[in-house]
Amino acid sequence: MDNRIISYVLQDAGILIEAALVLYVAWTRQWKKQGTAAFYLTCLLVAQLTRACVLHAYGFASLRYYYIYWSTDFLLVLSAYLAVCLLFRRVDLRQEKMWGLIRLLLVLVFILVAAISGVSLSLNRKHFFTYFIIAFNQNLYFACLALNTLLYVLLRYMDSTDNQLALLVCGVGIQFAGPTAALALVHLTTGGGFALWLGSLVMRLCTFGMLLVWAYAIIRAKDKATQVTRREIPGLAEVTAELDV
Amino acid sequence: MKNLVLIFLLALLVVATAVSVRRMVAGTAMFAGGIPTLVAIGTDPVPWPPPPAMPSN
Repeated sequence: MDNRIISYVLQDAGILIEAALVLYVAWTRQWKKQGTAAFYLTCLLVAQLTRACVLHAYGFASLRYYYIYWSTDFLLVLSAYLAVCLLFRRVDLRQEKMWGLIRLLLVLVFILVAAISGVSLSLNRKHFFTYFIIAFNQNLYFACLALNTLLYVLLRYMDSTDNQLALLVCGVGIQFAGPTAALALVHLTTGGGFALWLGSLVMRLCTFGMLLVWAYAIIRAKDKATQVTRREIPGLAEVTAELDV
Repeated sequence: MKNLVLIFLLALLVVATAVSVRRMVAGTAMFAGGIPTLVAIGTDPVPWPPPPAMPSN
């Protein structure tokens, strides 16, 4: 089957799942409880519908579509970063002191990513989109991947019993790690046929996979325990003790 | 102070990892037709950016 057909089927099914999940959260009035997922899904839905409208109105080759696509990608990457921050916040719900340090880490990562991307802008200020927005999007995308991996390790380290949070983190991991692995395969095989085929499909597949995992997390795992237990780890104990002083 | 330094180093590690992974997998390999491999969240088709111009002296 043609790659494009599979890609469009996955994409349209994904949009339907996103809309259904947003409606489900609104219908069951879980905006506060499912705030992170609802926020990211709403951003994804709005961005995809905007892109579809502009593509239909102006065509693929138009400059407007180019600007709208990468502008919405900018907003999507920002919302993904915010979603990862909110997931971090959920882990440390009962540990305000640790959250202070993690918040500082998240702010520092964002500033460093913006500064490194700014170097690209300094090469040529006339091409703001080519040099800054796209470089920033790419850098923040991979920063989200690194932070999400860190969050997963933290959850395992703290023996978290919040199943829903673990599923949400796994969903984000699928969304970010899948395309990275596929691109690494393209790079390693120097553009081999199978790798190219996989690379062209994998982003849609991963977004679709994330939506399925999140749908399960929101609908089925909603009543699971949200309690987070923490082992007494010397490192964390030291940190909290130092902050007490 | 020690915590702040550790957090700064951790942030540096996260950003260095992100930039290294990006430099390894995105923008270096090419799809057919010389299109750079970039990641984007969301829908197809992706409008690939024009090739970067050489920096002016």
